[in-house]
Amino acid sequence: MAAALEQYVTTVQTLSNQGNYTTLVEFIAKNMDMLGKNAAHLDNVLATLDYQQHSIGVLGILVIKYSVPNITDFETLFVQTQEFVTSCNGEQVRYAPDNFAELCHKFASQLVERKQPTRGLAILTQAIQKIQLHPAQLTSIHSDLCQLCLLSKNMKPALRILDADITEISREGGHYDAKDFLLYFYYGGMIYTALKNYSRALYFFEMAVTTPSMAVSHIMMEAYKKFILVALIVQGKIPTLPKYAPQVVPRYIKPLCQAYHDLANAYGTNNPAEVRTAVTKHTETFTRDNNMGLVKQCVTSMYKKNIQRLTKTFLTLSLTDMANRVQLSGPREAEKYVLHMIEDGEIFATINQKDGMVRFHDNPEKYNSSSMLLELDKEMQKCMKMDEKLREMDREIAVNPQYVQKVSGAHDEDMPASTSKNQGF
Amino acid sequence: MPLPLQPGIFQAAVEPMQVDGAPEENDNVEEEPQYTVENPSLDLEQYTTQYTGLARLNRLMFIADHCPALRVEALRMALNYVMTTFNTNMYGVIHRKLQEAVSASSSLPDAVAGSVHSVPPLDVPWMETTAKKAAFKLEKLDTDLKNYKSNSIKESIRRGHDDLGDHYLDCGDLSNALKCYSRARDYCTNPKHVVNMCLNVIKVSVYLQNWSHVLSYVNKAESTPETEQSAKEANLTVQSRLKCAAGLADLATRKYKSAAKHFLQASFDHCDFPELLSPSNVATYGALCALASFDRQELQTNVITSSSFKQFLELEPQLRDIIHNFYESKYASCLNLLVEIKDNLLLDLYLAPHVSALYTQIRNRALCQYFSPYLSADMHKMANAFNTTVSALEDELMQLILDGQINARIDSHNKILYAKDIDQRSSTFEKALAIGREYQRRTKALVLRSAVLKNQIHVKSPPREGGQGGEMSIAPGSASSARN
Repeated sequence: MAAALEQYVTTVQTLSNQGNYTTLVEFIAKNMDMLGKNAAHLDNVLATLDYQQHSIGVLGILVIKYSVPNITDFETLFVQTQEFVTSCNGEQVRYAPDNFAELCHKFASQLVERKQPTRGLAILTQAIQKIQLHPAQLTSIHSDLCQLCLLSKNMKPALRILDADITEISREGGHYDAKDFLLYFYYGGMIYTALKNYSRALYFFEMAVTTPSMAVSHIMMEAYKKFILVALIVQGKIPTLPKYAPQVVPRYIKPLCQAYHDLANAYGTNNPAEVRTAVTKHTETFTRDNNMGLVKQCVTSMYKKNIQRLTKTFLTLSLTDMANRVQLSGPREAEKYVLHMIEDGEIFATINQKDGMVRFHDNPEKYNSSSMLLELDKEMQKCMKMDEKLREMDREIAVNPQYVQKVSGAHDEDMPASTSKNQGF
Repeated sequence: MPLPLQPGIFQAAVEPMQVDGAPEENDNVEEEPQYTVENPSLDLEQYTTQYTGLARLNRLMFIADHCPALRVEALRMALNYVMTTFNTNMYGVIHRKLQEAVSASSSLPDAVAGSVHSVPPLDVPWMETTAKKAAFKLEKLDTDLKNYKSNSIKESIRRGHDDLGDHYLDCGDLSNALKCYSRARDYCTNPKHVVNMCLNVIKVSVYLQNWSHVLSYVNKAESTPETEQSAKEANLTVQSRLKCAAGLADLATRKYKSAAKHFLQASFDHCDFPELLSPSNVATYGALCALASFDRQELQTNVITSSSFKQFLELEPQLRDIIHNFYESKYASCLNLLVEIKDNLLLDLYLAPHVSALYTQIRNRALCQYFSPYLSADMHKMANAFNTTVSALEDELMQLILDGQINARIDSHNKILYAKDIDQRSSTFEKALAIGREYQRRTKALVLRSAVLKNQIHVKSPPREGGQGGEMSIAPGSASSARN
């Protein structure tokens, strides 16, 4: 038995020194069973390997250690993982991204089980940086980090990776799954919702909902529910999904979210009483889905929307009138709403407490300050960058051999007009 | 008659401020609100003579349903008239209603409208003989048609179908009438026949309230080449008839503007089709639709100075005054007059469901027009001009501003309405920024999507035990996973 382990160590050492990582990855994959059988001695093996130089070998062992049922000495393992993630050689582990991702998944799920999500935040953030080729690459570890952030109620660590717009997905040896993708956008949306960055949250939920799909995923359905609620808060209505949204959304998911559609319809009437009726009617569903908090925010946003509508029609309005028009309990509550909205920059107004009047103003932004110009310039830069990216992608496709072959091939085949060949595509 | 007779949710004053309610998609399944009209100033005798056939019956029934004061009289007239047709079903219905109405009103101490409290007994022998006669005639027409068919003389077959259709219509069997009239289509040999066939179909479709059918046959008739060339006189009649039918269909489907245009094209001298509309109907419908949908300019050129429509308006002097008042910006008197004639309009079979919508639109138009020349307006004066209170006016204005019809803001403190000047520059900046953000958002989504597709990420059913492929079936997998 020990001989097998010894042989493992030597092979790892030689192959690592030779830099023959591909063979090493294959070797480890073959020896997984053997390692599993010798689980008791793995700590000794670890001691003989260097985290920095033999990253792939260490990775294999750690994965096995996590797959043992009932991990007894988690603290040691935690320290080992931490040490590995900090000191491993990024270049090496990228040869075994599937093992690396698996390690992170298991690590995360252990932390979740032990209710210590905070401890994993720093480690996973680092792990993502190690394995990523560039910050815009999505890995399956992203969703783990987001999950830990949500559980530990500490959203900041995830923001840095969430704020980067994904342009590429790491395949991780074909192990990257739609589930990871959906979870990333679902959790991401929840994090942004928690931070009240609703428009970004809406974007994340939309991404989750528009994932190509042949079957109903529960993640997708929950994302759709939150999508509706967040959309109501941001836009006051359900936006139309893009054309490429999968068929399952209207066909299967929509009928299962009737309560949410009822709420949206009630919201569309701009009548707080109707919204409240809808909420009361479906309270059970909303509570069961853990969406009650968001629903309450929807109701609040409804009042705010109505007050905003008033700013379009009135120059001055008494607080009592306002309370009547938006169906608030009284001038006091109206004042509270207006005050908060002024503070948040949602409306521009002044309250005259002497006679209880609110005076609405136009947007004071005149678009002639230097800071505004800077802002404009930034936005323009962003758009230009996006455009650049699109061009680049287009070029990539244009020089793709397969694409070129297909385009020119189709042309050739059209000429002789042979029907049998045309059936090929 | 397709009128529902549920004992009513009483809705006397239809809210004027409920602007465009839910647009109804299906034209003939409209659920009309039940209402009753208390004080009509309608001369039934004169009113009914304008119509013949089913139109008269339908209108009388409609009045009977909605106006308790005229119910007995209307039903009595309908009963008399129905005896001249073969329509025994209708006779039964009217008779039953009349009985109910009389027994309901006889509980009152004094007779309403001096009517006698006796109902003519159900004329069973008449019903029997009529039914027999109808059946006999039907048989005769049927054998005639068969004969024509065996001789295959196209013209005769067409006439046979038409006669059969006429007869069905007389018996009140609308769907069969429609069938017969439509069948005649294959045997039309010249354009005149085609037009004739179209007119027949239109007539029945109007009775059936199948408005899309009406419109399509109007189009068909109008595109028949001969309509322009045939004899001038007859042609104009046909044209007017088509225009009115189209107007009616547009009105029923709430396209008030095109309804107005159609009615305005009717020619007064050739407006004679009592089985459809009376000239004064054309005047009413046309005028109201025009008021509700035309701007001042259009009103001037198309209605007030239109020589042919002037003649129509002479039939309805009140409406003429309303239009003139509206044009001269005397809104208070205009609106007062409108309120005066409202009761009568509510008794009109086709107009009734649209009265409140039209009134709201007219009122809104008036409000917009009133404010259009001003930069600021005193709402007290404005309320005076519109016969309303300041707070009600405020509500109305708010709605209009939200709809974007008036570009203004209300100073609720001093009760002054200010026109709003939009800063073009700022709004352009705002728009540009919004569009830029939207562009970024969409592009990001697309870039991400292309990555997703490249990596072939898609949700599929979980692989089944028993070795079936994971991707193969959509329905069972999704159904099960959805229910879990």
